[in-house]
Amino acid sequence: MFARKKKGFLGVAAVVLAGSLVVPLLSIGATASAAPKPHVTLNHTNTVFSSGVMYSPPTIWNPNEQGSFATGTEGFLYETLFLYNPITNLYIPWLAKSGKWTSTTTYVLTLRSGIDWVSDVASGQAVKGTMTGADVVFTIMLAKNDPGIYYSNLAKDVKSATAVGNTVTVTFKHPAAEDWQSFLYQDPILPSSSVYGMGAWTTAELNTDANAAPVGSGPMSLDTANTNSEEVCYRTNPHWGVGAALGLSFKFLHWCDTVNSSNNVELTDFLTGVIDLSNNFLPGIASLIHAASPGGSTYGNISTYYPRPPYMLSANTVWLEPNLSKAPMNNLYFRKAVAEAINESQIVNVDYSNLVTAANPTGLMPSQSSYVDTAAVKQYGFSFNKTLAKADLKKSSYSGQTVTIECPDGWTDWMAAINLMVKDLKTVGIKAEALFPSYATRTSDIEDGTYDFAIDNNASIAADPYNYFYRMFRLPVEKVQSAQDNWERFTGPVATKAWNLVQELNATAMSATSTRQGIFNQLETIELQNLPEIPVWYNGAWAQYSSTNWKNWPHSGTKTDQYTPVMWGGWLGQMTTVLALAQLVHTPKA
Amino acid sequence: MTDADAPAGSMKPGSGTAPAGSGPPPVLVHGTAPDPDGMAAQPDAGTESVASVSSPLPGAPKRHRHEFLYFAIRNKKLLVGISVVGFFVLVAIFGPWLTSYAPLATGNTGWHPPSGRHWLGTTYFDEDVFSQVVYGIRASFEVGVLGGCFSVLLGMLIGFTAGYRGGWMDEILNLVTNVVIVIPLFAMLLIIGGYLHQLSLLWEAALIGMFSWPWAARAIRAQTFTLKNREFVGLARLSGESSSKIIWREIAPNMSSYLMLTFILLFGGAILTASFIDFVGLGPQGVVTLGTMMNNAFFWDALDLHIWWWFLPPGAIITCIVGGLYLTNAGLDEVFNPKLRSL
Amino acid sequence: MRRYFLKKISIYLLTFWVAVTIDWGIPRLMPGDPLQVFLLKFQAQPDAQKYLQAYFYKAFGFNQPLWKQYLYYWDGIFHWNLGVSMFYYPTPVATVIGQHIFYTMGLLVPAIVCAYFVGNRLGAMAARRKVLDNSILPASYLISGTPYQWFAMLLAFFLGALWHLLPESNAFAFGTTPVWTWTFIGNFLEHWILPFLSLFFIMLGGWAIGMRNLIIYELESDYAHWLQMLGSPARLVRRYAYRNAVLPQLTGLALALGTFVAGQIVTEVVFNYQGVGLLFFNAITNSDIFLMQGAFLLVIIGVLVANFAIDIVYVLVDPRTRVSMMGAEG
Repeated sequence: MFARKKKGFLGVAAVVLAGSLVVPLLSIGATASAAPKPHVTLNHTNTVFSSGVMYSPPTIWNPNEQGSFATGTEGFLYETLFLYNPITNLYIPWLAKSGKWTSTTTYVLTLRSGIDWVSDVASGQAVKGTMTGADVVFTIMLAKNDPGIYYSNLAKDVKSATAVGNTVTVTFKHPAAEDWQSFLYQDPILPSSSVYGMGAWTTAELNTDANAAPVGSGPMSLDTANTNSEEVCYRTNPHWGVGAALGLSFKFLHWCDTVNSSNNVELTDFLTGVIDLSNNFLPGIASLIHAASPGGSTYGNISTYYPRPPYMLSANTVWLEPNLSKAPMNNLYFRKAVAEAINESQIVNVDYSNLVTAANPTGLMPSQSSYVDTAAVKQYGFSFNKTLAKADLKKSSYSGQTVTIECPDGWTDWMAAINLMVKDLKTVGIKAEALFPSYATRTSDIEDGTYDFAIDNNASIAADPYNYFYRMFRLPVEKVQSAQDNWERFTGPVATKAWNLVQELNATAMSATSTRQGIFNQLETIELQNLPEIPVWYNGAWAQYSSTNWKNWPHSGTKTDQYTPVMWGGWLGQMTTVLALAQLVHTPKA
Repeated sequence: MTDADAPAGSMKPGSGTAPAGSGPPPVLVHGTAPDPDGMAAQPDAGTESVASVSSPLPGAPKRHRHEFLYFAIRNKKLLVGISVVGFFVLVAIFGPWLTSYAPLATGNTGWHPPSGRHWLGTTYFDEDVFSQVVYGIRASFEVGVLGGCFSVLLGMLIGFTAGYRGGWMDEILNLVTNVVIVIPLFAMLLIIGGYLHQLSLLWEAALIGMFSWPWAARAIRAQTFTLKNREFVGLARLSGESSSKIIWREIAPNMSSYLMLTFILLFGGAILTASFIDFVGLGPQGVVTLGTMMNNAFFWDALDLHIWWWFLPPGAIITCIVGGLYLTNAGLDEVFNPKLRSL
Repeated sequence: MRRYFLKKISIYLLTFWVAVTIDWGIPRLMPGDPLQVFLLKFQAQPDAQKYLQAYFYKAFGFNQPLWKQYLYYWDGIFHWNLGVSMFYYPTPVATVIGQHIFYTMGLLVPAIVCAYFVGNRLGAMAARRKVLDNSILPASYLISGTPYQWFAMLLAFFLGALWHLLPESNAFAFGTTPVWTWTFIGNFLEHWILPFLSLFFIMLGGWAIGMRNLIIYELESDYAHWLQMLGSPARLVRRYAYRNAVLPQLTGLALALGTFVAGQIVTEVVFNYQGVGLLFFNAITNSDIFLMQGAFLLVIIGVLVANFAIDIVYVLVDPRTRVSMMGAEG
């Protein structure tokens, strides 16, 4: 009797379960069927999956919306005139065939011919037009025509830009070598046509339109059918102009970059072979990689650029940023004490398991080591030394007040680093506290100048330290520092001198190398002597690859070692990542 | 409904059990909370469908007290529940003496499985898990006690006032209760925490208390209704005692058992809710709680790196403590209500 | 009956108004700039930043006086226009929620229904004999004290990370599109099973306990004793007891909705399951005010509607209340 009841019970249970599932499934089907059907299934044979770039769903493909656009907007869709290789420190002509300064205020470049503007996959990847000098001029002049453009600083420098066919001549009001250099390899060229391009867009559209059917010149076109709130997908562009000119092509048909919600989910996806490339910081990855040959022997086919610590290339400098408008941070000896109290190697070892390297006292990255003034570092540079720290603390007449160090809540590796720093400071007698407000609050604290110390890494890898010192010394300091420059609020006669030097750098020709080095030396000395920022470590260009489905990833000491493996904004479209991707081949199944 | 109601369904009262006019309402399941909406059954009945706690009559002879004690010692649920909770109370009090590590003291060698040196192993940052667990239990108890107290006190304040005063004051308070009772506690806490960005332990407890009181208030109000019509209250009123004195001297002691039960439930619920808030990242900074341990373990890849000793203990302990509290509650209920004692 | 429902509806409307006002008011009354995080994404030079700031303030309506913003918000609710999400910019909040709500429903509805059903049966079994009671009851107490996120982590760890039997994150695999094909359904179910189980197991604990207690109570009542005295088989008495006990369990359903919301949210976070709970979590982590408001609104509406539905069902199912109400009216 009991058994009979039980059988009925199970049966009804199953029916109930199935029944209650039907409604949601039907609804999913209903909403989904409205979406266009993909014309080819994405699998690991024809698609490479990546992650670690996007933290929010892909909804924008407008290159003017720096920081919001989806992965691939720069690099896959839109391209720059030159690429920069941070490993070899060379510029690679990309959209441009060549370019040079014909005088201190004139620059002439020649665009390649046969670069087509191609529409997205849904519109059939049709060729809409050819890139000419007019597109380059249009892009340059947006600096003047669009008040919201992100490279508006160019407006102060450029007098005029004219194009004759594919030759573009840019005339400057005054020498602006650095600003122009940045533009050449950082800012993509936009289509100027009023028919298929942005020529007829209003200012509002230029700055806020999602550009969901982008017409680009790059190696891939947007595939809206396979793009959803979790991933953005692209299809190779058969009309890729630069590829044809350089003999490059992608061996994969599709590329999908997925939204990365948190490090631990990413790690799971990576370890289970769901994604092939991860550009995220994955805690614990070091323990999963075994050091061996240049290819990096692996745990389930996992490898990184270097097979041994630091495993990753360096991407940017992490600063401990003091608020120089507040006491006691405005006291130089206090800053010195803080710098000397921090045990960088502990952060590198414990927090990052050696996935990063400790920073040079100047903070200049390894790729820029040729610019480092070693004599100045020897004379003025700080190092981890508790005795010196205590002595400097005494000199600073520190009153014993508590200072806070903040970073956004959830940025766990920085949070852990701050906790270590707080302990280091306590051992030399500085009362410190960690603070982990939301990203919004931390940002407003910094921009409003109400914070004490913060962790920041605004200065990323570049051809030379101009960008680095620009970020450090830019003046004037506004009431609300919305741009990510001079967040430490360094002002005064020394600061003014430094900013003048930076501007002088911009006005010096790129060819005057000894003059430039002289200026860099002066800037470094000012930095070391005044400690407006305290460099602690270099963040890694996080890149973990799995060779389960695709192989030939960038490894040091091999043919692929000059290619950067990072898909982030500022890398995919600007450095040699596209070249890295062109090397990938499908791993044959054993 | 608020989290104070977990376990779902277990403490729910019978609804309008007695048809109108059948005399004094019977003892309900746990002899506790009345009809949740207070009006389903008898829209016309003067009294709500009220449960009466079979509380001792006023001036209860010692025999009753001994009766409770007699059953208490023999009630298995009560014994097991109290021992479990008591064990963790002892750990919370004496734990720090057993550990030689500070809970947030990081080491240099990463995570290790349980060993002689680290009884529960170490975290990703080489912190001692056992120390964290000990301090975490303390923090969880803090939140639970504070949250439970806030809820009960607020519930008492509103329930007594509504029940004793009656009339329009009762209508208004009833309305407020009905409004707050429906708002989902956790969603509300998320919104508030989302804007405040971090909640200290005190704030967590306060906010939990601010949204968990309706459950207690409603029952207290119903009890007050019944009791205020009893003779001893009438006597007290005749002899000129003030309302608040009557409430605190005459009515409340008769509900003491019920208040105890309610407090225990809200205590457990507060611990659970706090663990949710901490897990989602809105918990207090720099304080180790069982919830923040689970948060850290999860977001630092404990699952994929197989650091099971980091997330297993905190959750297991919460399960034991809250389960133990619910068990204690059930046992006490049986002790106070003879009808439940048999099976 | 009418009076009863009118009273209920008016309370729910009042609750809705209070909750929405609190939800709307908090970010606007708190210090700080609600758009700051959003604007930071544009990384513009100071002059460009000023332009963008002015543009977006106007676009999001923050330059209006507070009372106007309040009224516009209510107007938006009635037209189901909940504003534009900052995190998913430029997708409207309503669209975002619409894309994710069914995943939540797919977890929550089956879990509640199955847990209710199975829990009630378990409770009834426990009330029947002591030997079952001694195992089911303590287990149920322990289960109902289990934090949702911990149990979810256990399942994800053992069945996912350790033994690789089932996926431990996401609602469906990358590269599959949510279309109505067998591949997708299979993929969906594979990702669905663990979060469903983690919700289901914990929910059923409470029902089991409640049912067990209610049945014991029913078995102690007069009619049960009377039936037994008449010599009715125990099975018959139990059946009557069960039916009577189901009613209070129903009200328990309404009261437990809040806990289920909490459980759903933390479970979705653990499994990275793309439902409204995860949306809520992302909105909070990224200070997306409009999405936060929208998700909260959805939760409130859901809870109120569910409450009301249960009220209706209850009145329909309980013959005593129906009779007493009709009697009261007549």
